[in-house]
Amino acid sequence: MRNLIIFLRRYFNFFLFLLLEVICIVLVFQNNNFQRTAYINSANNISGKLYDKYNNIQYYFHLKATNDSLVAENTRLHNALASSFDSVSTANGVRIDTIRKYSDDSARKVIGAEVRKYYYAEAKVVNNSLNKPMNYITIHRGSKQGIKPNMGVISSSGVVGVVRSVSDNYAVILSLLSKSNSVSISARLQNGKEMGSVHWDGDDPEYATLRDIPKSAKMHKGDTVVTSGFSALFPENIPIGYIVGYMQGDKSSTSRPVKLKLATNFYNLQYVYVIENLLKDEQQRLEDSTYKLIK
Amino acid sequence: MSILLRNIIRFVLLLLIQVFVLNEILIHQLVSPYIYMLFILALPFNLPRPALMLLGLLMGLSLDMFMNTMGMHAAACVFIAYLRPFIINILSPQGGFETTQKTPSMTSMGVSQFLIYAAILVFLHHALYFTLEVFGFANPLYLLLKIILSSAASLFLIILYEMLFFSRK
Repeated sequence: MRNLIIFLRRYFNFFLFLLLEVICIVLVFQNNNFQRTAYINSANNISGKLYDKYNNIQYYFHLKATNDSLVAENTRLHNALASSFDSVSTANGVRIDTIRKYSDDSARKVIGAEVRKYYYAEAKVVNNSLNKPMNYITIHRGSKQGIKPNMGVISSSGVVGVVRSVSDNYAVILSLLSKSNSVSISARLQNGKEMGSVHWDGDDPEYATLRDIPKSAKMHKGDTVVTSGFSALFPENIPIGYIVGYMQGDKSSTSRPVKLKLATNFYNLQYVYVIENLLKDEQQRLEDSTYKLIK
Repeated sequence: MSILLRNIIRFVLLLLIQVFVLNEILIHQLVSPYIYMLFILALPFNLPRPALMLLGLLMGLSLDMFMNTMGMHAAACVFIAYLRPFIINILSPQGGFETTQKTPSMTSMGVSQFLIYAAILVFLHHALYFTLEVFGFANPLYLLLKIILSSAASLFLIILYEMLFFSRK
């Protein structure tokens, strides 16, 4: 026993070093767990507030680009409005309006009897990284404003990422620009409807790879790739990127990887929309109970 | 200024420079400079080793909090804080560095000695950090290039910082 204590005291520094390193490595691995909420990240109050202050200054330098993207989005929405179309009369049958109305507070109580599937909430970006293998975006909106983990996030031009952890007033988004397989977005070609998935390879924040598209699919440069709507995160037909060209793939494979230019410009991201899928729980419950039946 | 106050100011200053200036600069995918470990490099000579390692852990975790890299910077910082006394021992002349200057700097160690000291620790820090970040040896050339180029950029910044703040004798 005495010898053990002497031994420990003699190599105290080394054991302390080992202990601290083990703590760090455990933290690294714990953080890889997608579901676990990490507390020491930029969603907490100290770093969130500091980023918020800093962004207030930085925001001015991006005002022009932010304004341009908002005007572009307004134009797009105006074009989609019903009043922009000369409609033929459809009053030759009974139609029931099925839009369900929700209250605006975070409880989202049903006011009307109609069904609403997606609820959008705008959020200000206060921090954004681009040059790491895993990139995160911090937004100024948190659990008090109804943000929960695993909600989809889009910008005015395309897909951005998935909410990962949430504090009272801030949330951290795992950006589409994340090299590991933790972010893969279910995608499809807007023209051919073939399904695939989009990953980022960790090189250029402007480009990503579309995988699992069959070789038979007809593709042209500039074709739009959109979300499939199969995952509960994103609605259908939100642009992810535009086809730039083919990439070198496995010759024996039936699919071939395609290079995409991302629709979202991550360099000057200032506002994003967080999407709440109000029917997600129902879909999840049904799918889970079906899996159980099969087992 | 007392050494304690000086180190506290340096801690905050380096953290702010790292988070709000260096992390915003996109030079290239392979070059991401870090300057915050200068805090560990510039702690007083006579600080006991456990204190060195705990301060390294504190610095690393603070940066991890801002960068969402949970534990990676902390691991690299503890690593160089542990190795720092060895490197100083190897580089020090007989009888140790003169005790009038209590912290490692260009004036107290001499320019070439300090450069070797900083280069070794910066390289070790980057080697461990980028290995943890990339996590895997699937692309060793990419990893090696990233470590070497980033170390060079970081070292350049550390020299600039030293020249700004420690030029006077």
